[in-house]
Amino acid sequence: MDRLKREFSTLTIVLIPVAIALNIAIGTLVLNLKVPLYLDSIGTVLVGALVGPWAGAVTGFLASFVWTLTGLFPQAIAWVGVAAIIGALAGAFRSGDWWEKWWKSILAGLITGVIAAILSAPIAAYVFGGVTGSGTDALVALFRATGLDMLGANMAQGVVSDPIDKAVTFFIIWAILRALPGRLKARFSGD
Amino acid sequence: MIRLERFSFTYPGEDQPALSDLSFEVPAGQFYGLVGPNGAGKSTLCYALAGMIPHYFKGTLSGSLTVAEIDIAQSSLGELAGTIGLVFQNPFNQISGSRFSVRGEVALGLENLGVPRDQITDQVDETLEQSGLADLGERSPFALSGGQQQRLAIASILVMQPAVLILDEPTSQLDPVGTSEVYALLHQLVGQHETTVLIAEHKLERLAEFTDNVLVLNQGRLLANGPPKTVLTDPLIEEIGVQPTRYTQAARQARARGLILKKDEFPLTLQDAQEFFDDAAV
Amino acid sequence: MSTPTLYLPRDSRLHHLHPLTKLALIGLAIVAGATLPVTLWVIAVYLLILMPLAAWGKVLPAFLRSSLLLIWPFALSLTLIQGFFAPGEHILLQLGPLSLKLEGIQLAADYTARILVWLSAVILLMLITRPDQLMLALTERGLPRQIGYIILTALQIIPRFQQRAETILDSQRARGLETEGNLVKRLRALVPLVAPLILSSILELDERAIALEARGFTRAGPRTSLTTLKDTAPQSAFRWLSLIVMLLLILARAAGWMTA
Repeated sequence: MDRLKREFSTLTIVLIPVAIALNIAIGTLVLNLKVPLYLDSIGTVLVGALVGPWAGAVTGFLASFVWTLTGLFPQAIAWVGVAAIIGALAGAFRSGDWWEKWWKSILAGLITGVIAAILSAPIAAYVFGGVTGSGTDALVALFRATGLDMLGANMAQGVVSDPIDKAVTFFIIWAILRALPGRLKARFSGD
Repeated sequence: MIRLERFSFTYPGEDQPALSDLSFEVPAGQFYGLVGPNGAGKSTLCYALAGMIPHYFKGTLSGSLTVAEIDIAQSSLGELAGTIGLVFQNPFNQISGSRFSVRGEVALGLENLGVPRDQITDQVDETLEQSGLADLGERSPFALSGGQQQRLAIASILVMQPAVLILDEPTSQLDPVGTSEVYALLHQLVGQHETTVLIAEHKLERLAEFTDNVLVLNQGRLLANGPPKTVLTDPLIEEIGVQPTRYTQAARQARARGLILKKDEFPLTLQDAQEFFDDAAV
Repeated sequence: MSTPTLYLPRDSRLHHLHPLTKLALIGLAIVAGATLPVTLWVIAVYLLILMPLAAWGKVLPAFLRSSLLLIWPFALSLTLIQGFFAPGEHILLQLGPLSLKLEGIQLAADYTARILVWLSAVILLMLITRPDQLMLALTERGLPRQIGYIILTALQIIPRFQQRAETILDSQRARGLETEGNLVKRLRALVPLVAPLILSSILELDERAIALEARGFTRAGPRTSLTTLKDTAPQSAFRWLSLIVMLLLILARAAGWMTA
């Protein structure tokens, strides 16, 4: 309870909508750059890394609703749980020194990506019949052709795409954290 | 209305105090200006007067600071909201964003204070009228010009009818038209509500025109406290890196080149300058 | 710059309903779409409930456009993936080792119908409901007001952040940053694009927080509201009824009472 209160200072409350706007602004910018990444959870990971797991989870959770409300990606609410867990994991990696070294942050991103892929697969398989209506569906088809079932194919697709995206996201946030003054960082986490 | 006695403040981890041994008073209903070079501590002083120091920004303080009879250090931000208003530079950051209309944005502070709905409606209407935003009430706050947004930021504070209004360079991101709009509003405010105003400002001509008194801050210390005409024409302010008005500069240059003066006072505004040069002879 | 929401202001009876009543209507359609056992019934929810509601709310063209734009990639992917890979015996088309099967097409149609219903129900809700009124209704029912602040503020500041992202993109391009070319080049371009945007956003947070504090955001004690939401007894009754119907549908589905 104490941890909760500490995480949700006014500074955190104003950070979260900015982080959500960053998810959306950067997510749509990256689409235009034509790189095989999304970076649409970069703000969520920022909040987790800067503040803690609860704030990260709330950011991911609410970001899904905002994606839906904008009409840019209405299906986002189906993934609300995964988005929250990504934020929580980014915060959980604060214990230990995962955010201290660049290669550890990349490792943390890879782990988060694998977990996200595993959690996303049942949603894709059972809510959306195994598709997302985007380019990654070709990968799903490929894995189905190798004999995997729908859940397996979605998991395999996720494990191919998600960890790279999360590794890049975590690495960028590592660079951001390094650029911020230590005293400012301490004020976010309340430590 | 504002009283500081030997007030000092140091940010955590810093050796030098940001505010050092400040003592001054601002009587009720007065319009005070605050000038100083960048880094002089103007913003820090504004934050302290509004209670953001020590309740938002932590640090070490000593001495005493009372505003509207409230000992700031012993109070809380919730208590101070509505009594002391704070406005600063960037209008985008001051608009909460959580209201879809200008009216809603202005009402936010009163909603947080728990004011009954009828009274909110009245006060919002009155404030919108005063700030020249009455026709824009249903617009999105983000669909306004910079000057309009800054007036909205001021209106959102004014609506709570604070006894003291602190403004930290509220016109620094505005063009001359926007600046005039803001000052006209402040002037009217002081006249009608007897609000005590303290404004940090780089545009000395505006201070000359509107303020009763000016404080000069440098390296966290109070260097001067007096009427704008005396303080703002003093060579001292140029020495610490504050640019005097162009009229003061012109008159100084003229004297340096041999203009003979009848008065010893340098002009501050255009009107002063006209009188000054009328009186002067080569 | 306008707020990026789907909301269309219209003078309709549907628009004037209490936001929670609209939420109940939409919830009913979503639960029905997820639980009804027969594909045709699911399609009927779209044709006979959602479309007439959209027409009543005077937003039918926008509703049709948005829901069809959203559904066609799903329909296409589902037809191909389920059509070729779902198990089945009725082969419609043989392409080398792959075969398109009737069972797969039926499965694809079923998924498409269900996705169409819930996504278009959400879209309809957004077309007819102002987000701030929806949040107000939820806050009145006990949702922490900080959540309303976060969602509404995020919605309204998105255009500004997109604009900043574009500005940074343009200025980095002008400095010779390669945002075209091979994959490695484009990946390398990401950090200098994204980092300034994030850093500058973090540095202005104190001002945003102080501005809220100056307006009593953290003050203890009860809040009031400038705007009121009109609610009526029949609407409240309807919401309770919807809730019961939703629970019954879920129960019936789970217990296997409804079968094709």
